[in-house]
Amino acid sequence: MKIWTYLLALLAGVSLSVEGAIYGELGKTIGKLESSFYNFFVGAIILGIVVLFLGKGSLSYTFQAPKWELSGGALGTIYLTILIIAIPIVGVGIAMISVIIGQIAMSILIEHKGWLGSSKASVNKEKLIAVSLMTISLLLIF
Amino acid sequence: MHILILLGSVIGGVLLSAQSSINGAFSRKSGTYEAAFLTFFSGALLLAILILFFGEGNILKVFEAPKWQLAAVWFGVGYLFLTVVAVPRIGVIATNIATVIGQLTAGMVIDHFGFFGGLSVPFTWERMLAILLMFIALRFIYIGNKKQKDDTK
Repeated sequence: MKIWTYLLALLAGVSLSVEGAIYGELGKTIGKLESSFYNFFVGAIILGIVVLFLGKGSLSYTFQAPKWELSGGALGTIYLTILIIAIPIVGVGIAMISVIIGQIAMSILIEHKGWLGSSKASVNKEKLIAVSLMTISLLLIF
Repeated sequence: MHILILLGSVIGGVLLSAQSSINGAFSRKSGTYEAAFLTFFSGALLLAILILFFGEGNILKVFEAPKWQLAAVWFGVGYLFLTVVAVPRIGVIATNIATVIGQLTAGMVIDHFGFFGGLSVPFTWERMLAILLMFIALRFIYIGNKKQKDDTK
C-alpha cells in the first residue's frame, strides 16, 4: 500500500503548482495582496472548522510559545505574495524550481546549524552536489 | 527584471523552509491543525493591515471572480492534509521528494498547455534536461540524508 502513499505525496506537490497557477490569475483581477489575503482568510475559516472537529492539540499554547514560533504566518504571506507576482511573469515551472532551490538550500543550512529547534545534520558532499545541480537546472531554462 | 523575480522566488523558498521548521517546533506542543490554523489566521490579520495601506486591487471583486479560481484555497489546504497523511507512513524526506517531483512535473505541464489561463511556456529539451537534473539532485539529497542516518546509528 506504500505506493498509494507516494502517490498522495505526489498529488500534494501537484496541488502546490495548481494553487500557484490559479492565484497568479486571481491576482490579475482582484489584486496580488488581495489574492494572498483571500487565501489566508478562507484558509483560516476552513482550518478553524477542522480544529473544532479534529483538533487534538491545544490552541492556548499560542500564548505560552516563544514569540519566534508565531512567525510562520508572516513568512507564509511573503512566500505566497511573491509567487502571485512571479508566476504571471515567468510561469509556474521556473517559479517552482526557484522556490525549491531556496527551500532545499535553506533546510540544509537550518539542519547544519541546528536552527529553529531542528536536529543537527552537517552538510555533506552529496547535499552540495544536489544544490549545484539544481542551480544549473535553473540557469538552463532561465 | 526577470533575474529579480527569480531571486525573489528563491527567497520565497528560503522563507517557506524556515516556516516549516518554525511550524514544526510550534506544532509539537500545539498540534498540527492548530499550527496550520494559526499560520492562516495570523497571515490573514497581517495581510488585512497591509491591504488597508498598500492594497491596489479590490477585494470585493472576489465575489465576481470565477468560482474555479476561488477553489485554489482547497489546493493549499489539500496539500496540508495530504502531507499530514503521508509523513507518518513514508517519512518526511520521502514525502518531500515525492512532493517536489509532483510540483515540478505539474509546473511544466501547466506551463506547456497554459492551463488555468496563465502564461504558456512550451516544453523544450532544455526544460527536459532541467527536470532531469532536478531529479538527479533529489537522488543526491536522498543519498546524503541516508548516509547521515547510517552514521548516527
